[in-house]
Amino acid sequence: MQNDKKRDVIFKIENLQKWFPVKRTMSEVFSGEKRFVKAVDGVSFDIMRGEIFGLVGESGCGKTTTGKLIMKLLDPTGGKIIFNGKDSTHLDKNDLKDYRERVQMIFQDPYASMNPRFRIKDVLEEVLIIHKKGNDKKERLEMVEKALSEVRLQPPHEYMERFPHMLSGGQRQRAATARSLILNPLMIVADEPVSMIDLSTRAEILHMMKTVQRELGLTYLYITHDLSTARYFTDKIAVMYLGKIVEMGTPDEVIDNPLHPYTQALISAVCEPIAGKVNRIKEVPIKGEVPNATDIPEGCRFHTRCPYTGEVCEKGEDPLIQDDGGEHFVACFKYKNLK
Amino acid sequence: MDKRKILEVKNLKVFYKTSMGDVRAVDNIDFFLRSGETLGLVGESGCGKTTTGTALLKMPSPPGYIAGGKIILDGEDIIPISETEIRKRIRWEKISMVFQGAMNCLTPVYTIGKLMMETLQTHRPMDKEKAKKIIVKYLNYVGLPDHIMSRYPHELSGGMKQRVVIATSLFLEPKVVICDEPTTALDVVVQAQIINLLKELKEKLNLSFIFITHDLATEAEVSDRIQVMYAGKIAEIGTNQQIYGEQGPMHPYTKRLLAATPRLHEEVEELAFIPGTPPDLIDPPRGCRFHLRCNEVMEKCKTEVPPLELVEEDHYVACWRCTKNAE
Amino acid sequence: MKLSNIKDSIKNFWKEFRQVKSGIIGLILFLIFLFAVVFEPLIISFKETNNVWRDITYWEDLPRNVPPAWTNLFTSRKSAESMEIDDPEITEQQNGNLRILTSEFTYDYQSYNPPQDIIFRADGTGSPMIIIEIVRPDDEKITLFQKPVNLGSGNDVRVSMDSNSKDAVYNFLSKKVPRSELQKINKNLLAPTDYLFSVASEDFIKNREPLNGIYKIKVTSIMQNEDANISDPYIVLPGSVYGLLGTDSYKRDLWSGVVAGVKWALLIGLLTAVVSVSIGVLYGVISAYLGGWKDSLMMRIFEVFVSTPLLPVLIVLAAVFKPSIWTLIFMMCAFFWTGSVKTVRSMALQIKEETFIEASKAAGASNLRIIFKHMVPLLIPYSFASMALFIPGAIVYEASISLLGLGDATIVTWGQILSDAYNSGAILSGIWWWVVPPGLCIALMGMAFAFIGFAADKILHPKLRTR
Repeated sequence: MQNDKKRDVIFKIENLQKWFPVKRTMSEVFSGEKRFVKAVDGVSFDIMRGEIFGLVGESGCGKTTTGKLIMKLLDPTGGKIIFNGKDSTHLDKNDLKDYRERVQMIFQDPYASMNPRFRIKDVLEEVLIIHKKGNDKKERLEMVEKALSEVRLQPPHEYMERFPHMLSGGQRQRAATARSLILNPLMIVADEPVSMIDLSTRAEILHMMKTVQRELGLTYLYITHDLSTARYFTDKIAVMYLGKIVEMGTPDEVIDNPLHPYTQALISAVCEPIAGKVNRIKEVPIKGEVPNATDIPEGCRFHTRCPYTGEVCEKGEDPLIQDDGGEHFVACFKYKNLK
Repeated sequence: MDKRKILEVKNLKVFYKTSMGDVRAVDNIDFFLRSGETLGLVGESGCGKTTTGTALLKMPSPPGYIAGGKIILDGEDIIPISETEIRKRIRWEKISMVFQGAMNCLTPVYTIGKLMMETLQTHRPMDKEKAKKIIVKYLNYVGLPDHIMSRYPHELSGGMKQRVVIATSLFLEPKVVICDEPTTALDVVVQAQIINLLKELKEKLNLSFIFITHDLATEAEVSDRIQVMYAGKIAEIGTNQQIYGEQGPMHPYTKRLLAATPRLHEEVEELAFIPGTPPDLIDPPRGCRFHLRCNEVMEKCKTEVPPLELVEEDHYVACWRCTKNAE
Repeated sequence: MKLSNIKDSIKNFWKEFRQVKSGIIGLILFLIFLFAVVFEPLIISFKETNNVWRDITYWEDLPRNVPPAWTNLFTSRKSAESMEIDDPEITEQQNGNLRILTSEFTYDYQSYNPPQDIIFRADGTGSPMIIIEIVRPDDEKITLFQKPVNLGSGNDVRVSMDSNSKDAVYNFLSKKVPRSELQKINKNLLAPTDYLFSVASEDFIKNREPLNGIYKIKVTSIMQNEDANISDPYIVLPGSVYGLLGTDSYKRDLWSGVVAGVKWALLIGLLTAVVSVSIGVLYGVISAYLGGWKDSLMMRIFEVFVSTPLLPVLIVLAAVFKPSIWTLIFMMCAFFWTGSVKTVRSMALQIKEETFIEASKAAGASNLRIIFKHMVPLLIPYSFASMALFIPGAIVYEASISLLGLGDATIVTWGQILSDAYNSGAILSGIWWWVVPPGLCIALMGMAFAFIGFAADKILHPKLRTR
């Protein structure tokens, strides 16, 4: 039983941190004081095999940095990354290459993520060349063709010769997805994959991604600011605020029964295409905007904007994330009283 | 209903000159805006909504040009008016615009006060004290404290900058304000705050808004009437109730766009989408421009352009399935 | 597939290039220079120019310091053109042991300025006695030369009147002019042809008038032994104008020198530009890509090179090493690469932040792959443009090194021609044909590449076009 559960966790991060040093004033240099942007400040979560894990938050909450840490594009300041049962926080060259073969990424802007001078086939083939897959060019191109048909770019040879700018936004994101699939990875980190895509095709891309995920048994980390698509797309949602996860659970639980005041505010602020709201001023329970990450408030980091803040929230430690039962976690001192 | 039409657009055409031929970005559209209401312009990217917005100020971004039509603003057609005159008494005086991304285009080396002062004084030469008073007044309108004037743009958050831009657009007490995607780059909570601000301003200053966005969900919160555009043409215009209510929209494009808009509080197994891509506007398809992607297409749609017709009170649809003749 | 792509892109490039006028001018100039390189043997009069530029004996039959032949078009006082007379009337006489060979050359002198010299040339063996006489149109007969020459088993005979008949001419003069006049001239500096081709009068020395007409030059060789022989006699008359570009004070044909210099200019220009821009681009990209302390270190090294004045270093190095064209190019590359580094680095810093770089990093691409496959190709347009702008710089630098006398002595470059002109005081003595052509060529070649470079830049950076 214990073993089974462990095998199910494909990806685990423990207390992951990324602090970026910031420029100091002269007096700070002399006093030896160092200041940091604490972009990611102690994030932990588990992702199960075959799960779509959603990381949701506003801009500057650290979700993209978390994604980059996982992709090993940045080195963590602290914490652990465990992938497939192996500590992958720090990897040597060979292990890193291996890791990157298994963990792929889809970027927000599919156009920017492809070299404008490369044809689609070159973009996809490059990954194969890097990882020394396929014996010759012919074999590699066959693999490219297969990957393109997996993402429903049909017929593939029609798209292979094109340059990225000759494709529509949706087609480009499909090609980008194909690139991430071509090595048969175990996990894909998708950073806002549909936010630059027109609404009419957005669902199509998400649908395609989900189909591929089911067919190939992939695991996704879906990073987004958009709660609505997260609800549709993910199996689990983690809400981030200022570098920390404040709430985590199944989408239905988190969205229909939010426990953290921040999640509640976020959900109440989302616009919905429903009639009869035009003449009402919407209740927005929280004021202001996200504070600067160099200067994270003491105590609960949300207390400066929280409508329910009290003495317990303003001093001392951050609230720890705790289980409310039913795999619904929340990091708030007072959530029980709010219900 | 009795409210008068502050802005009326007739047969407006805005084309972009390219080496391949004219891009018919806005092709023969008619609509109007009533005093004190918010009209939402929705559509996918490239449908002509921003082009319409800039054309209303008579400043289409080059190589675009107004190829024909009438823009009747406050009872006066502004198309024949000379550029100097437009600048003197129309632009910013009667109609102003909050441009997309304007909040990120504030000159970083000037304080907010100086930036706003410059805009104000170019239009209305006046002494500093008086200008300052006006600036403070409008900053308070948009919910910003006076001391913002001495701040630099980079010291402000996105929401605050957007408020500054909105305040700047209101200086000369225009009757119509066009907002191009004012909430797109902002976080959800701030988005809601800006939407609320626009609603308050509309009440307080009796403004008329044209609210341009690609997001049907945002429009539902903001606009009294919604105008859906597709490939340079208007597909449907209806009131908030008509589009988002029980009955739902009538044009197949609006229907499917609405279905593709995710809803937070509704469990959906599968989101709908519209296959295909918008047509090439240099050589648009014959007939209805949506017919290539439409699932209710008829023979007539492929050859004849459906006119924008009034189907019920305040509800205009350009679809052969919805016209009275078709039934 | 690939080849047709390249073809297409070249076609497109050409289509755009055609519209940039200055580019076309540059291209035409470049093609002219290229033509000069390819057809060099056909268009220069002295094929071995390249190897013999500093061999004074090779040029000895040419006039010294004379302007180009076409200058005759602009004056009524024509100058004698250089010519060879190789169709003498030969008469042979056997007189006992003596064999007397007489060759009579006819020269029709019709210009105002006389030729600079009369040179008798022939092949010969043994030690014949040679007598050279001239019969002027006024029937004056002067014996210019009368000496046995020792030719051994076979040698060239070369007898220059300029150096051998000063005495004879002086004697001729002394018969014609009063003693007081005669004292005014120095026998050793006297130019024989000046008087040989002038009307003999008392006023001979002050006001020389050309004596036009038929001159007969009679060369008599008296051979005593069997083995003595003279064959293929001819006479060279180095004129007072020469060729397309005249001659310098070493009697060298400047046209041949300038044309032979084209290939070296191209070599110096292209090689220096290509090598130094390539190094610069790579250095800039690598520095930007590595970032951090490596970037800082590379930038400091770069600054050392930038702040070192090139010319003094080159002078010292040229003094230490044997100055050859290759060390010169090497040295220039070693300093010129800095020119493109700053720009490339700032461009690369931008490219580095592009998502596609991050994407290929995330895909596991090695640093080398990212640099060479993703970053460098994006900088190629810039590289080409800056190469074109480097070429004139390199040519001018080589010229200034040569001007200091530190150039490669085994070849002929425009810089060296200029350097020689400068050292001989050509500018002061008004020998413009020695200075203007090579200088103009440097300017034109610089212009050619600069124009091509600007045009390429305009096409490749369309955003700059409006500015």
